[in-house]
Amino acid sequence: MKRYGMIVDLNRCVGCQTCTIACKHSNDTPPGVQWRRVLDVEQGQYPDVERLFLVTGCQHCAEPSCVPVCPTGATRQREDGLVTMNYDLCIGCASCAVACPYQARTIVHEQHGYYADTLTKQEEKTAHTDRLGVANKCTFCIERIDTAHTQGLTPGVDPDVTPACAVSCITQAIRFGDFADPNSTVSQLARDERSFQMHAELGNDPQIKYLYEVPQATPGRGPDAIDVSDERLSDPANPLVGQRQTFWDYRAAMNFILGGMAAGLMLCAWWAAQLQLIEVQAHRQINLAAAAVMAIGLFFVFLKIGRKLRFLFVLLRPQSSWMTRETWCVAALYPAIAISFVWPQAVWMHCIALAAAGFLYCQGRILQASKGIPAWRVARMPMMLICTGIAEGIGLLALLTAQYTTQNTLPMYLCIAGALFALLNAVFWWQYVRQARANGIGPLARADLIKATPIVHGLAHLAPLGLYALALAKPETMHALTAIAGLCAVAGGAWWKFVVITRACHQQGFALPMVPQRGSGQRAAPARYALN
Amino acid sequence: MVPLYCNQCVCGPDLFKVEVRDGVALRMTPNHDLEGIHPAGGRVCVKAYGLVQKTYNPNRLTQPLKRTNPKKGKEHDPGFVPISWDEALDLVAEKLNAIRAKGLRDEEGYPRVAATFGGGGTPTRYMGTFPAFLSAWGVLDQGYGSGQGAKCFHSEHLYGEFWHRAFTVVVDSLNCDYVINFGSNHEASGGVSGVWRQADARSRGLKRVQVEPHLSVTGALSGEWVPIKPKTDAAFLYGLIHRILLERDWQAVCDVRFLKEDTNSPYLVGPHGYFMRDTVSGKPLIWDTAAQCAKPYDASISDAALTGSYCVSGEEHGPDGERWQHTEIQAQPSFERLREHMRKYTPEWAAAECDVPVETIRRVADEFVAHARVGATIEIDGQTLPHRPVGVMLGKGVNNGWGGYQAMWGRTLLASLVGALEVPGGTMGTKVRLNRPADNRLKSATHGEDGFMHYPFNSTLKADWQSKPHIRNAYKMLVPLAANSPWSAALGPAHLPWLFQHKAPAPWPRQTLPEMWICYRTNPAISSWNAPEVAKRIAEFPFMLAFGYTLDESNWMADVILPEASDLESWQLSRIGGTGSAEQFWHHQGWALRQPAVAPAGDCKDMSDIATELAKRTGLLREYNEAINRGSAAMALRGKDYDYALDPDIAHDSKSIWNAVAKAASHEVSAGADVKDLDWFSEHGFMIRPFSQLEWYLYPRMKSTGLRFELPYQERIQRHGAQLERRLHEVGIQWWDPQLKEYEALPEYLRFPDIWEHYATELGRDPAEFPLWALTARSMQYAWGANVGLPLIREVAQNVAGHDGVIINRATAKRLGIADGDPIVLESASGTTRGRATLREGIRPDTVLLIGQFDHWATPVAKDFGVASLNSLTDLAVSLTDATGSGADIMRVSVKKAPR
Repeated sequence: MKRYGMIVDLNRCVGCQTCTIACKHSNDTPPGVQWRRVLDVEQGQYPDVERLFLVTGCQHCAEPSCVPVCPTGATRQREDGLVTMNYDLCIGCASCAVACPYQARTIVHEQHGYYADTLTKQEEKTAHTDRLGVANKCTFCIERIDTAHTQGLTPGVDPDVTPACAVSCITQAIRFGDFADPNSTVSQLARDERSFQMHAELGNDPQIKYLYEVPQATPGRGPDAIDVSDERLSDPANPLVGQRQTFWDYRAAMNFILGGMAAGLMLCAWWAAQLQLIEVQAHRQINLAAAAVMAIGLFFVFLKIGRKLRFLFVLLRPQSSWMTRETWCVAALYPAIAISFVWPQAVWMHCIALAAAGFLYCQGRILQASKGIPAWRVARMPMMLICTGIAEGIGLLALLTAQYTTQNTLPMYLCIAGALFALLNAVFWWQYVRQARANGIGPLARADLIKATPIVHGLAHLAPLGLYALALAKPETMHALTAIAGLCAVAGGAWWKFVVITRACHQQGFALPMVPQRGSGQRAAPARYALN
Repeated sequence: MVPLYCNQCVCGPDLFKVEVRDGVALRMTPNHDLEGIHPAGGRVCVKAYGLVQKTYNPNRLTQPLKRTNPKKGKEHDPGFVPISWDEALDLVAEKLNAIRAKGLRDEEGYPRVAATFGGGGTPTRYMGTFPAFLSAWGVLDQGYGSGQGAKCFHSEHLYGEFWHRAFTVVVDSLNCDYVINFGSNHEASGGVSGVWRQADARSRGLKRVQVEPHLSVTGALSGEWVPIKPKTDAAFLYGLIHRILLERDWQAVCDVRFLKEDTNSPYLVGPHGYFMRDTVSGKPLIWDTAAQCAKPYDASISDAALTGSYCVSGEEHGPDGERWQHTEIQAQPSFERLREHMRKYTPEWAAAECDVPVETIRRVADEFVAHARVGATIEIDGQTLPHRPVGVMLGKGVNNGWGGYQAMWGRTLLASLVGALEVPGGTMGTKVRLNRPADNRLKSATHGEDGFMHYPFNSTLKADWQSKPHIRNAYKMLVPLAANSPWSAALGPAHLPWLFQHKAPAPWPRQTLPEMWICYRTNPAISSWNAPEVAKRIAEFPFMLAFGYTLDESNWMADVILPEASDLESWQLSRIGGTGSAEQFWHHQGWALRQPAVAPAGDCKDMSDIATELAKRTGLLREYNEAINRGSAAMALRGKDYDYALDPDIAHDSKSIWNAVAKAASHEVSAGADVKDLDWFSEHGFMIRPFSQLEWYLYPRMKSTGLRFELPYQERIQRHGAQLERRLHEVGIQWWDPQLKEYEALPEYLRFPDIWEHYATELGRDPAEFPLWALTARSMQYAWGANVGLPLIREVAQNVAGHDGVIINRATAKRLGIADGDPIVLESASGTTRGRATLREGIRPDTVLLIGQFDHWATPVAKDFGVASLNSLTDLAVSLTDATGSGADIMRVSVKKAPR
């Protein structure tokens, strides 16, 4: 069994961009897309400064976080370790892109040439329309590797079957080979030299290993406090800092917002029905209304995916993808609602509630599985989304209560439940923001969260809590106050989801757990009076 | 896959292959056939990968163009209209024929035709047989600079060749352990071979100390970055030398044998500062401490004295044949004089001058001598040579302009102190451009005066001095060291014609305009000092013939633009291997082919065919063909034992010409055993033979020829200076006096930064207005490639800091209220430029950095960059020109936030 990977030597790379451009040639990537990217990194503060060049790209992880999230099976891992893309299967949902902690993936939706819309002769001949609207990333030049066997050549040894970046590198900073072969150059380097894996703590076991030391000349050292200070990690010009992901925009947020509240509403309606606080007829109407809201959310997602006509492929990976599972919940939900109208049996109502609960849970897991976005991947995320969904459902039901009853029973229940969930959600949010740093959320995303906190607490927690309490205290205003409280809860829940998905959505960024000791002042390599 | 070479930069040629399908070039790859042969494994740099896009750039000019607007200037649309090749060539030929009828020189004696090519000789690797046409034409003014020559590694070119046949100087990184690098951005400018070898050296343990005001790409890859005040590098070097000679036990740390036997250290110096010479033979004297007497340098000497003062008789040879006879006077070895000379340049003094901690200077000096391994040897191809694994590199901004001589001298001296000159591991040269033979630097080391190598100085003796400019930059007149090779015109003060055209100093002969100016693969209106001013001068030329790729700021002023077939569309053979710029150190040498991988775009024509057409239409076909036969285009087609010469009386197409060259080249490579034609080269791409590593080093040749390095004492330089001063004063020229002061036997350090700080007053401005230093640095992605119109290059270049903005120290920017990405305006006493701010820590607070050369206003794509350029801030000025005739890429500036 093979395990292909790379060694990148920080003491050799000069940041010349030859690998980047050679990759662009070899893989015909469009303007702005760089599967092999080299960052110009500066650390420290004058007069103690270091600069280095960091090769990035798909790490072909042994435990790739992009593979299980793929709802279609377009992204897979081969036995030789290569993480592959099937462009014909991909729907362009970008789950993989937000799941990757190495910012390796891109999606280009429209064909452009380097000279605006007119393609040059070469661009016409090298255009790949199959790659439009779908996820792209470094393939380790898979076509080359796959010809090795037939030609009797060895990847990493023979240039024709070795990735373009490695064989074009003018410093041999990038080496490719088989880590499973103890005699390969990469294995020897990994064995003989000290190296690190980026974001090793995330557990992806990336297959690019970075060398950082030269015996007798350049020792390695860990980062200084200033390099990982909030100031540096907030500097948008710092290439290590992850910027906001743009794969999932307001359209994706709309699914979490509308789908979440709709699922919550269905659950609350089911609960109210179980307590016989609403009639079956009302229950069905509420389910229908919720389904419509959810459908709008789903339609927004449909608008966002790169390959709309392939949307049904989303159902293909229930064994690992929470997005597939979410869609199956939808697939169960809508027929159940339809049937509940023609065949009004309680079992369908239970089915609807179950599907809604599943939908809500899947949403939580989708966001949590997005390993590339620190603010999303926190362990509490599914619980936060579920509880918010329920709080929103309570809120929506409170809004609708007047339609179905003039009595105070239902509103009272809603007040109590709403207040409890508002309190619970307040605690969740407070913890989420408080533990953000510990959870690896960077200062830029933290700032977004902190900025949103007064509104989130105010709208989603304090206002409902206060209004629900007031309503309980003043039964004569109960309907009106619970409606307002519900509205606040819905708006507050929508707001935090919007903020988390489209604002505090900074990518993982890059990290340097070890760097070569070189630079000026304090950072300079140690004095030396002989090389033995 | 079609094999070709890339010689866009001076570090080539390097080889690659291009994938062609249905006549369209699609992709490029390295040429892996050269793995283990080419010093960088057959790889090419980022720039080469732009060539495919360059071929299909929709902004390419693909038809000859004629100007219709007689008014020239940035503000005047040239009104170019397409014309046929016949019309275009007739138009140019008619002009040339009219000029020829009047005479090749005008009434003032200047050539009527001038030509400017891009830097480093790289355009000749693309212009096919055009040099043969120029040779057939005859007198030509190639002294209008465009950024090459005077703006290049200028002092290094001149003094490097003078001292050790090193037109460019590098370290033998394969065998080197310790390098002090003063601002050479080698990792961006060293070509693939340089970058590859340095990476290998680093992995082996080479330590590099990078001394420069900003943390360059090269600084990034160095063990230590020492942020030095701009233009004080010579002071740092002097501090190191002081440390070695006066604080350390110099006899313990220096290579005393080398100093005694291989340099002029023991030559006795008389009271007038010239060598004490034997009155009979005129040979410089050395004090033999064993024999207790002075002997001619080439006599049998048991133990040459390096220090002390000795009572000797003899004579000094001053300027213009003056003789001073001395009887029993005190004379000192030049080494003794050197130690006295260096006494005042203490590390403390240097530290204050350079704004660097004194302990850094002392430590670097100590590390240098510790790594030098004086006494060690190494075996190279069966021969035992000294092994001195220490070197010193100088950057372009360090060794051009004022201070360049001192830095060059300090660097070369530092190498000689430990015997690390032209030996494995040490500081060494790569090629010659001023000496002959051009293709073998070792053979150019022949006997000259006083035990040193011959050097083809331009005479400063009254009888032979060129008293009037023969071309507009007057290099023969002003710069003895520029010699008189085909390269000398470009290595003279090539920026001065632009200045003198506007405002010449007095007295100076009236500078006429060339009646035709030819511009090929260069854009002086962008790449010159004070580029906006140069654009105005170009607009004054009555007729400009440009060979154009796209519109640019220079050909905007053209009368005719001829579109050449591009790098992937035309024929040419070039030498590869041996030793060459940066670190082209091969174990092979031979020839490589550039060929039409694809058909020329539109009506673009192979340069060789253009040259043939022009030769035909100017009645110079025979002379042109004979020039090709003599080797003007590549190599002689007729030799002792071979003859592939072209019939001189008929026109040959490009392919036939290069077919003949292919045969001659393969004949040379194989010593006649394996002659190949162009088709063979088309398939295989290159042909090589072994080249011994021993031929990398000059030292064995110096020993076998019985030559000494002309260091540390610069008697000849001093004499030429004295003579030149007399000559210039004789014709009333006083304005070159500051430059004449540079001709010192032991160069003094001047406060070089002051020259630029005070320059503002010359223009009536207050120096305090311009509190910051502005510098530039090499962009590997853009340099030389004429590729600013390629968005692909732009895309990848932007991954390297500084390609989108002016690099400013973060604290300085904060003080000025400037945030990252803010629009800024930079002003110097002579110009302004606009751009954006890029905030970094790796730069001194008193310095800003403008990478590359931009500020385009006509070149498609590039004109929309909004990137500032140092060339818009620097100035053309005699006071900023040193004695070798170069200025420097440095200026005092102010930086302000501009309104968005």
